[in-house]
Amino acid sequence: MPITERTKRLKARCRWKHTSAGEFVDETVRTGIERARLITESHKNTVGEPRVIRRARGLANILNNITIIIQEDELVVGDHIEHPEAIPLYPELSYFVTLDLVQSKYCPDEVKEEAMEICNYWEPYTLQRKGEAYYTEDELERAYQFSTVEGPAFVTGFNSIVPPYETVLEDGLQKRIELIQAKLDDALAQLREFPWDASKNLPLLEKINNWRAMIITDEAVIAWARRHARLARIIAENFETDQNRKKELMEISDICNRMPAEPAKGLRDAMQSKWFVFLVAHGLERYASGYAQLEDKLLYPYYKTSVIEKSFQPMTRDEAQELVECERLKVSEHGSCKDRGHREAFPGSNDLFILTLGGIKTDGSDACNDMTDIILDAALSIRTTEPSIAFRWHPKGRMETKKRVFDCIAAGLGYPSIKHEDVNYSQLLKWGATPEQARDWLLVLCMSPGVAGRRATQKCRTEGGGSLFVAKCFEIALYNGFDPTFSNTQQGPETGNAEDFDTFEKLWEAFAKQIQYGVSLAVKGKDIARTIEQHYLQIPFVSSIDDGCVETGKDASGLVELPNPWHNIILNTTASDSLVAMKKLIYDDKKYTMKELITALQANWQGYEDMRRDFLNVTKWGNDDPYADEITVKFYDMLADEFAKVTMYSGVAPMPLGQSVGHYITVGSKIGATPNGRLHGEAADDGGCSPYMGADKKGPTAVLKSVSKINHRKFKGMLLNQRLSAEQMRSEKGFDIWLDYMDTWYDLDLDHVQFNVASTKELMAAQEEPEKYPDLIVRVAGFSARFVDLSRYAQDTIIARTEQSFGVAQ
Amino acid sequence: MSTCAECKAFFAIPENADDFELSKGDCVREEKDQKGKYWLSKPVMGDMVADKCSYFMKKVAN
Repeated sequence: MPITERTKRLKARCRWKHTSAGEFVDETVRTGIERARLITESHKNTVGEPRVIRRARGLANILNNITIIIQEDELVVGDHIEHPEAIPLYPELSYFVTLDLVQSKYCPDEVKEEAMEICNYWEPYTLQRKGEAYYTEDELERAYQFSTVEGPAFVTGFNSIVPPYETVLEDGLQKRIELIQAKLDDALAQLREFPWDASKNLPLLEKINNWRAMIITDEAVIAWARRHARLARIIAENFETDQNRKKELMEISDICNRMPAEPAKGLRDAMQSKWFVFLVAHGLERYASGYAQLEDKLLYPYYKTSVIEKSFQPMTRDEAQELVECERLKVSEHGSCKDRGHREAFPGSNDLFILTLGGIKTDGSDACNDMTDIILDAALSIRTTEPSIAFRWHPKGRMETKKRVFDCIAAGLGYPSIKHEDVNYSQLLKWGATPEQARDWLLVLCMSPGVAGRRATQKCRTEGGGSLFVAKCFEIALYNGFDPTFSNTQQGPETGNAEDFDTFEKLWEAFAKQIQYGVSLAVKGKDIARTIEQHYLQIPFVSSIDDGCVETGKDASGLVELPNPWHNIILNTTASDSLVAMKKLIYDDKKYTMKELITALQANWQGYEDMRRDFLNVTKWGNDDPYADEITVKFYDMLADEFAKVTMYSGVAPMPLGQSVGHYITVGSKIGATPNGRLHGEAADDGGCSPYMGADKKGPTAVLKSVSKINHRKFKGMLLNQRLSAEQMRSEKGFDIWLDYMDTWYDLDLDHVQFNVASTKELMAAQEEPEKYPDLIVRVAGFSARFVDLSRYAQDTIIARTEQSFGVAQ
Repeated sequence: MSTCAECKAFFAIPENADDFELSKGDCVREEKDQKGKYWLSKPVMGDMVADKCSYFMKKVAN
């Protein structure tokens, strides 16, 4: 239950923005026009100015003129659109995405014409059109199918970011402006020196523009926040009759006057300042997914001031929890404007809002604190799907916090997801992070670690992110690179037909070649997009709050202080189980010929039921079976090896990261019948190294043993979904049993695990009477969703996962 | 002819504000829908013609 009457009311009237099957669940959601209108107006008015200055003036024009909002009861205020039901448009990103939204039911009739004009105005300037120029038509056709690879970043416009909140909370924007101004003054002074030195001076020109742009945006953000201060005061003095609320509004006014201009002093300051930064970095300057932050570490100093010492903005622990509940509801209301492909990829979710808690401090002690506990308590009490939480697990973690982690999981929230402290810490060291930086790791989105802090955080998804759909690459390897079941096009290089592969090694080689082609196609798209981003889609506000960008005068979209390279590998187990079945029945036992298998697959197994059963019954990944596991481990090694051949923008090879998002449903259904016995149209595996739904039959320990045979340190992350017995987890001994499991999991050096705790009975009852289960939450992939918001197809994939019981092999 | 400055929703921006401009103000509207009450604020110039504004409400003199 929400902790106060206020948060009960706020939850009851929450303006949810989540989607299902690509559509917003709440029918009142609509596209706004103001952001698009204001950035267009600025673009037209700034012709001739340096491009980064145009970007800065575009943001300033939005912030100075966009309608701002304060809602009843709110303690954290501000939004990135002109109406609480709206989602913004980003016409400068992708022509296709804007066009799709403008033509959709979400765009109100009264602005449709103007929105279309804006969309058409931007077409030649978009990231999309600039990116397409470097592709052949065939390549674009392949990339746009969203079947072997995710659409390139320049057409989806999908992005993510880790804002360095620390600088704003610690310095305040006014101090940032002073720092930047000092750099600017020094540079201008250097230009006046003689004798002239071109090698020293000419690089300053771009930096001067960047610093000027940073100042423009910081000043605009301060002024925009203060518009909220004025509005709160006007409401208090002219509209509000309740004395308590008037007082609250005056306090909000005081906070918005000072935040984010000044350093935060108390918990309310910190929460509001953080929220303003989030809105600008993720929703106003440019669309970016994510809610990456080490929230407990970030907020603890202010918690200490307000709750423990009560020396500024004094409050009780319950009031602190209420504030976090309010934050969670604000996140749930935050509408993002993703392309259709990504809306479909996150069924039941709004966006990938994930924060990180726990871990170890640089001195080796446990990083959990009372703020960690409050954030977990608030998650349990308000019971929203977003933001999701990742918990950095290690043996030293304090028990009362681990108990709270357990309570959230046992209650069925599907989060926190658990990440291994050492596996993730060690990985960041590889890319040059100092031990201190690496200890500040967080999840950038669902699964990948990156650093938090004042500098070197990940600023764009073209560094890490994007997807390679491994099962589709496997499928086209059977058909000479041709995709016969979805696009009917040549999707990869010609590597021969399955019938020609008289040895397993030849099949393997063709598959590896398709993987290499897919990886290169995907990374090429990211690198091209990134090169364009730093020339046309600079992010001067984000640059201004990053110490590295301020010091070097570089824009955050281009600067690489620490590489954080990854690319998702998705639908892995469908491919690896298929390889296992083919090795067994075609190459080892020779029970069937390849020709017979291909004929059966092309018939979607129709008329080949006995044969299908044979393939289905071959031992599967997740049962600690040496035969299946040996091939699967080699499969993962091959993926890591193929990725290692590529060099990307930041000068290193991207690491594969095993997960699925909701692609296992949407892209999974684009894959034809597969040799693991799966039918065309059925979902693929639900993520990372998770066993295929229902294929793990020997209990949770067998799953862990199989999974531990993969060297997780070769990967940027490796998702493991487990569905645990609700009865056992909620029993008196549930916590102890689960702790034992977690000890084993940690000792096996696994990267990740996350849990669904809901009985099949409960899930099926919710399918029958959804109105009775509004708060039933499930873990879909790297995010959670309300079960009743999922399509029946997606719901069935959750039910199909094996419900593991401890101590009893099923 | 009515102007924004004559409207009840018009609040002049104080001189010490970052975005102060002569005759500029905040147009503040209280709205309510099935999910609750909220307030919107948008910058306007006081001399803008408000005849066609459906929200215009003449300020009552003190």
